[in-house]
Amino acid sequence: MNTEGKTEILRVSHLEKSFGSHVVLKDINFAVEAGDVISVIGASGSGKSTMLRCINLLETPTGGQIFYHDEDITDPKLNVPAYRSRVGMVFQNFNLFYNMDVLENCMTGQVKVLRKDKKSAQEKAMHFLKKVGMEPYIHARPRQLSGGQKQRVAIARALAMEPELLLFDEPTSALDPQMVGEVLDVMTDLAREGLTMVIVTHEMAFAKDISKRVIFMADGLIEEEGTPKQIFEAPQSAVTKEFLSRFRGV
Amino acid sequence: MISEMNFWERIVYLLQQYGVSYLKGAGTTLVIAVVSTFIGCIIGFVAGIIQTIPVDKRRDSLAKRGLLKAVQTVFSIYVEVFRGTPMIVQAVFIYYGLSQMCHIQLGMWQAAFLVVSINTGAYMAESVRGGIISVDPGQMEGAKAIGMTHVQAMMTVILPQAFRNILPQIGNNLIINIKDTSVLSIISIVDLFFVHKSVAGAMYTYFESATIVMIMYLIMTVCASGLLRLWEKRMDGDAAYELADPMDIGNQMNKKGGEKLR
Ligand SMILES: Nc1ncnc2c1ncn2[C@@H]1O[C@H](COP(=O)(O)OP(=O)(O)O)[C@@H](O)[C@H]1O
Ligand SMILES: [Mg+2]
Repeated sequence: MNTEGKTEILRVSHLEKSFGSHVVLKDINFAVEAGDVISVIGASGSGKSTMLRCINLLETPTGGQIFYHDEDITDPKLNVPAYRSRVGMVFQNFNLFYNMDVLENCMTGQVKVLRKDKKSAQEKAMHFLKKVGMEPYIHARPRQLSGGQKQRVAIARALAMEPELLLFDEPTSALDPQMVGEVLDVMTDLAREGLTMVIVTHEMAFAKDISKRVIFMADGLIEEEGTPKQIFEAPQSAVTKEFLSRFRGV
Repeated sequence: MISEMNFWERIVYLLQQYGVSYLKGAGTTLVIAVVSTFIGCIIGFVAGIIQTIPVDKRRDSLAKRGLLKAVQTVFSIYVEVFRGTPMIVQAVFIYYGLSQMCHIQLGMWQAAFLVVSINTGAYMAESVRGGIISVDPGQMEGAKAIGMTHVQAMMTVILPQAFRNILPQIGNNLIINIKDTSVLSIISIVDLFFVHKSVAGAMYTYFESATIVMIMYLIMTVCASGLLRLWEKRMDGDAAYELADPMDIGNQMNKKGGEKLR
């Protein structure tokens, strides 16, 4: 709990990650409160994906701590699957399960991980598939869907776990331009409904529109953090200015 | 007399005299091939799964990592040995080795199942490992991201896809086993080739008997590959899917406008 009485869900503290001698994350510090929508922007290679993957423990941090509520998730004794079932992730390449249809994709986690019965898992899956507009396609296989449709199913799959926090790693970067809108629309709805999200994105207009806070990363560090207004309209750092100048007019 | 007959007459004669023996031999061959391929696949899956278990230096105890490493090493040696030596030698080695060193006298079926299963297992272990590795790593990450354990992810996501990937190789192994059980006649297993050797030797009808046996092997292998292809097709399922509620698509699309711009 912090002073405003809001629940702090996640706190990243002096996070470091290196691959061998290659230092990718140097000293990352930020916190996520319930209801936050945080956009993470920055040049390619600045470490955005690595940071998200550390939060989801798909990568093991090499330094610092990440607190989920008051629990340090870098503790080797942590029950990692249980933690991951509370913190969802949506990938650039969807990673839908190719051996299942759309409905099964959204049910399997509920049944296997949350141990729900099939009936209530199916109801929940249908609820979220309806929400992302993929209800008519429940019997389709991932290979039969367009990129935008796949990503909407992937979002429904993550939502069906009812995570406390949802991480997005460039959810629209692998999409054809005409499909970006349908995915951003879904995410905008989620933001309005108060879902807590951390979104790595290159969609600046979208980030400006829906974020409560924006984090600009450069070279393994958080170069600047603030409201969308502060970051997009009055950036302080020269690096931020230089980066944003490339997106002028977007 | 048989020496006065022509080719076709000899074939007919052999079939009349020994038709049942040939069929029994073919049956033996088929049973050994099918059962051993099945057991070999189980061995292969166990080995392949164990060899792809990841270790986490921070979270797994030293004992667990040591044990895993030891088991993995045993399986690698097994694979190398049985892929790197001919099955005909393995058969002699195992059959006479067990009898001489361990005083275990294997029966015909036991010996056949043991040798062919172990041999197939070694090949399948590599196939399964390859099949698992060739599944997009994103599938494992997707499964982990919703909280699945390694075992859950393997069972529900990775292995079903790996299985589909290696189905052609299972078929291949079955066909190879149908043919290669012929080497087991060296340890006196009465398969189709053993029948051929006995009949041809006794009657001096090598060419005629070989013709019959060639055709019988061919029928078995062609049927096996046909059945497996059918299975592959069934696993791939329909190319099309049905929309859950065709009447409602229009509404759905409008609500979440596929073409709506930001
Ligand atoms: N598994 C890995 N092994 C080695 N280097 C990696 C690995 N993953 C990422 N990197 C390196 O880390 C840096 C940051 O990558 P990434 O986090 O993907 O950046 P971003 O998502 O901001 O584009 C890059 O230089 C990349 O090459
Ligand atoms: Mg990235």
